[in-house]
Amino acid sequence: MDRSSHLSVILDLCPTQWSLSAKPSNPHPLPFDTFLSHLLVFLNSHIAYKHENSLAVFGALPGKSVLFYSSEEAGDLSTAEVVQSDPNSYRFFKTLDQSLVQRISREFDILGQPDTEEPPALVGALTKAICYINRLLHPAQTLSSPEDSANLPEPRILILSVSPDASNSYIPIMNSIFSAQKLKITLDVCKIFGPDSVFLQQAAYLTGGSYIYLEHREALLQYLIMSFLPTPSIRKIITIPTEDKTDFRAACFCHKHIVDVGYVCSVCLSIFCQPVPVCSTCRTKFPMKTLQRLNMTRTPSQPSTPRPTNGTPTRQVFSGLAANLR
Amino acid sequence: MPAVEELSAKDVGPHPLLAFLQSQPKKALSRLYQRPSSCLCIFRLLGPLERQIVMNILWLDASIPASTMSSWVVREGKKEYDQALIELSRIDVLVNSATELTLSATFKTSLRQAITGGGSTGSFGVPLPGHSEHPTPSIATLDTYALEKWESILHYMVSSGTGLPSAKPSAGVEFLLERSGLMAKAREMTSSQITSTGFQFLLHTPHDQLWALLLQYLEMSEERKTDIVEVISFLFMLSTMELGKEYSVDTLTKAQEHMLSDLRDYGLVWQRKATPRRFSPTRLATTLTSSLPPLPTATGAGGAGDSKGEGFIVLETNYRIYAYTDNPLQTAVLNLFINLKSRFPNLVVGSITRDSVKRALMNGITADQIISYLTTHAHPQMRKNKPLIPVTVQDQIRLWELEKNRVKSDEGYLYTSFASLADYEYVLKHGRELGVILWESAARRCFFTSVEGHASIRLFIERSGQNQQPNRG
Amino acid sequence: MPPRRHDDIMDVDSEGSDASLDYDGPRRKGKGKAPKKKDKGKSKVTEAPYAWEASYVRSWDTVQEDESGSLQTAVDDLIARGRRKRLLAPSKAIRRTIIRHLIIILDLSNSMTDRDMRPTRFDLTLEYTREFVNEWFDQNPLGQIGMVGMRAGVGERVGEMSGNPPDVLRAISERHKLEPTGDPSLQNAIEMAKSTMSHLPTHSSREILIIFGSLTTCDPGNIHETLESCIRDKIRISVVALAAEMKICRELCEKTGGQFGVAMNEGHFKDLLFELIPPPAQQTTSSALTARLASGAPANAPGNAGGDLMLMGFPTRLPDTSPPSLCVCHSELKSQGFLCPRCSAKVCDIPTDCDVCGLMIVSSPHLARSYHHLFPVKTYRAVMTTEETANSSPKCHACARMFQSPAPSGPGRKASTAGKADGSTSTTNGNSESNSIDGREGAAIDTGADGISALGRYRCTDCSNDFCADCDVFIHDVLHCCPGCER
Repeated sequence: MDRSSHLSVILDLCPTQWSLSAKPSNPHPLPFDTFLSHLLVFLNSHIAYKHENSLAVFGALPGKSVLFYSSEEAGDLSTAEVVQSDPNSYRFFKTLDQSLVQRISREFDILGQPDTEEPPALVGALTKAICYINRLLHPAQTLSSPEDSANLPEPRILILSVSPDASNSYIPIMNSIFSAQKLKITLDVCKIFGPDSVFLQQAAYLTGGSYIYLEHREALLQYLIMSFLPTPSIRKIITIPTEDKTDFRAACFCHKHIVDVGYVCSVCLSIFCQPVPVCSTCRTKFPMKTLQRLNMTRTPSQPSTPRPTNGTPTRQVFSGLAANLR
Repeated sequence: MPAVEELSAKDVGPHPLLAFLQSQPKKALSRLYQRPSSCLCIFRLLGPLERQIVMNILWLDASIPASTMSSWVVREGKKEYDQALIELSRIDVLVNSATELTLSATFKTSLRQAITGGGSTGSFGVPLPGHSEHPTPSIATLDTYALEKWESILHYMVSSGTGLPSAKPSAGVEFLLERSGLMAKAREMTSSQITSTGFQFLLHTPHDQLWALLLQYLEMSEERKTDIVEVISFLFMLSTMELGKEYSVDTLTKAQEHMLSDLRDYGLVWQRKATPRRFSPTRLATTLTSSLPPLPTATGAGGAGDSKGEGFIVLETNYRIYAYTDNPLQTAVLNLFINLKSRFPNLVVGSITRDSVKRALMNGITADQIISYLTTHAHPQMRKNKPLIPVTVQDQIRLWELEKNRVKSDEGYLYTSFASLADYEYVLKHGRELGVILWESAARRCFFTSVEGHASIRLFIERSGQNQQPNRG
Repeated sequence: MPPRRHDDIMDVDSEGSDASLDYDGPRRKGKGKAPKKKDKGKSKVTEAPYAWEASYVRSWDTVQEDESGSLQTAVDDLIARGRRKRLLAPSKAIRRTIIRHLIIILDLSNSMTDRDMRPTRFDLTLEYTREFVNEWFDQNPLGQIGMVGMRAGVGERVGEMSGNPPDVLRAISERHKLEPTGDPSLQNAIEMAKSTMSHLPTHSSREILIIFGSLTTCDPGNIHETLESCIRDKIRISVVALAAEMKICRELCEKTGGQFGVAMNEGHFKDLLFELIPPPAQQTTSSALTARLASGAPANAPGNAGGDLMLMGFPTRLPDTSPPSLCVCHSELKSQGFLCPRCSAKVCDIPTDCDVCGLMIVSSPHLARSYHHLFPVKTYRAVMTTEETANSSPKCHACARMFQSPAPSGPGRKASTAGKADGSTSTTNGNSESNSIDGREGAAIDTGADGISALGRYRCTDCSNDFCADCDVFIHDVLHCCPGCER
């Protein structure tokens, strides 16, 4: 079926990471403005794909999350007046491009150059995106009926991530993933820069989305279009690369380390990286015997290392395509 | 439910305009593709898979080996994928080549331009700022105008069948209706009568109706030797325009300016007077390349923002129909296949009877069309039922249709004058084994076989040394 | 999702801690629960002895038209009220049993062929059991379910204990293998279920759910002895009866701390089943802990079902494209699977215990699915006055919906509908629930009249962002994470 689709894009706008990404010393430097121009083409392509397709763009800035753009406001004439009409471009594209660029630069201006930088508010952006989709999927509680569901858009969320996992966001991210599963939202992740994100890998795996680590960053647009533009129904025909090795490790509650083998409280399922006498979450005291036994068998604490991931055949296809790109 | 399956099958099928484009010469297509707005619209009319293929190779400069692309396709999807490639090359979007995939150069440049903006083709229309004396018409005004125009056309069609007087649309519309075979002038009458295709047309969704008429219009323009590229690209330009804005006539070509008056008759554009320098597209025009309802809710009571509240029919298992509408057009359409009993300010009550359905069948409407009309216009309350249309009613409508087809005709051969009953049964048994016997009568010692069976039966008889002459039936 | 019965569980919990003087938790609990159950029954009795004697509630009296004569606003109001009500439950973390083991005992006796529930009791039971299993695993990802049938006087093992929903569902997928016949035997079936669960560790719960259609049981011995042993083993038995109440069934439930219910109709049957889905509050620990504190008893007293520290491994999933290798569980050549982080053995499915090193292998999502029970989002405060909205955003912080402009609508009308609305929801939701909710409303008085904001704004007390009513419900029911606080 040719259903319309909704796409929520979450931009990770961590200034430090982006400045690192733009460094010419990188094998494939990608400055932010190049990224933005690729992104705008991708967003326009999504709207071009079908008249009814809708879009929302959220930004995860240090310490705060912002809704930059949504298709709703584009339909609103009052905001659209600001945009100069142009006979040479489609108005929806024009509105999108202008307002997105304006608002992002405004947020960066407000941000200034702080000495210490908070981690980007990915959770805030993600939860907002889910709430937004929830509203789209349940327009009016009174009118909902099974037949109507065919008219509702297929929802997707695309996370463009550059910063590493913030371990204290583990639980909220997991909660968001489960809500996404309930609402049948596909979470796609494109890791543009920085180390692989264990949490986002899980997010993509659990919601049937795809996690792609961008190797040839200059080919960003081609990656975006080939992997993240197809709707879930098209993905049944044209396969898109998925991360084959998914890491199912969790972060421990005490030091926020990511652990292979953890000690789990049977009452509240808190995870600890070493045996503790009292659960810090629910204050349960653990029996001495167990502690002794566990301390005996305990292996010397292993600093968790990122597991190696293999290059996949699909990645090689990408390299081939990248060579073709201008 | 067969009715629902049919509906969805119709959604998936390729757009009627694409078939029209296929029939056009390459040169015309490549001229059409010079305009970014046309490329964008054609792109939107394509099937979902085709759109993805176009997107995948849009930003590649060199052509990509076909094998690389097909390695992305899962085995079960191969057939659809190949079909999509064929469709694309038929309308000359894809350059025809077995080993490489490339978009045609014009299409690629224009679609890229559409997506990134820029260029100087002005294909998205030149918007004008609001006029000081005559304010831009509000969206509500445009909606009412479009609805009024469109419904008057349909109403004209319906009422021509019943003989009730109704306002005649403009000559252009009338000609178009006749041309498309929806209406026909009977010899002895002055006014035209609705045909059976016309009745079927009435039960389609507004979107399909609109495109059917526009395609007819395109063919008509072709015959009139108008430049077809101008016509199509103007339609596409309209569909990318924005509702509630005014656009300038100055940039249009002669042919397009001429079109304006026709389109005004169909309700696609709004103009303040007959020959102004500006025009506004209506919802009918701006939703051409989408699947959104092209008309505001026809009942009018539900508020215009409520796009899904279209359903108004409640059908009960006892064949009674309650239609919450005060719209004369909808009432008239219903009247095609139900017996109206009573009318209230916002409600029409009637029932489906054998006679009413027979009447519809005589008019050339099929049972499936009736059922699909009832399905698409079912009241939200009814959508809770499963199946949506009561099975009894559905079956009965189909049975009434079958009644019409009581006599079935098959071509075949009649075998008669067998010498003995034993001979007869011997041959008959062979025929039964082959499964070619359509009818038999032991008393009269004759049977009837299908055309395919004739040769083998005759061979069998000849081989058995019999001399019966098979008589042709 | 079925309505979560916080109230019931909370009651049980608090009673459990009352029982601090008596060590024997569960039995005492059973007694504590019994009068309460009767209370509930009684309150029903006083209001409506039988369904046909109940006074007729005129639904049209409970709603009022608005200025334009439409009922829409009144209906919306009712809906908002009903949804919001559940959220007023105190968001205090309660201790729940998260690792559960459940044996479902299905009655496969002749009485299940009765047609008083459509299409038959048997078919309906199978259908609801399937739904039950799916929902149960959704909320108890670390749990395991086994199936036992009662047929022809014996207990029959229908499905082994498994943590994998498809396995469990497969056990009841073939209807013809379960065709009802003969008499049921409660004792045989319970004994069989009990032996299946005898080896389980102390920190997990052991539960039996009996779906019982018969009015007789045909036992080889004294069923009361079986009951005693269940109490000893801390097995909680719940019964959903399809025919009528039997003394022994009621006793089984009351003495083991389970729930007993007789299904009145198809819908009620489902409700009774689904009430058993949310993880029960841990019954014994609180009483045992307080007992321990009071008496100074050593922590490792026998029968202490309290917390324990478990060693768990988080595996790596192998891709479908990896070279095939033998798995340790079935010894089959497969390419997909999970690697034990300690011994790198390959297992097919998780959660499970590694067959080589015995490590419990779970995926972190399995654990994480339960966290929201433990860290609920704080209840939002209804914003009542326009002054408070002066310098806050005009849009919902979560979904960017515009808040309605603070147009004053007649407060008198609101109040009157409010009173009536309460009446109507309580009649529809069933008396037991509304009673407990009404009781709580007094406590939640600081959130406004009854927690409904006329402005449609609900404010997080931590991050002071405003949310709309829909998001408020969604965040607390599904998302379990405040978009403003990011926690």
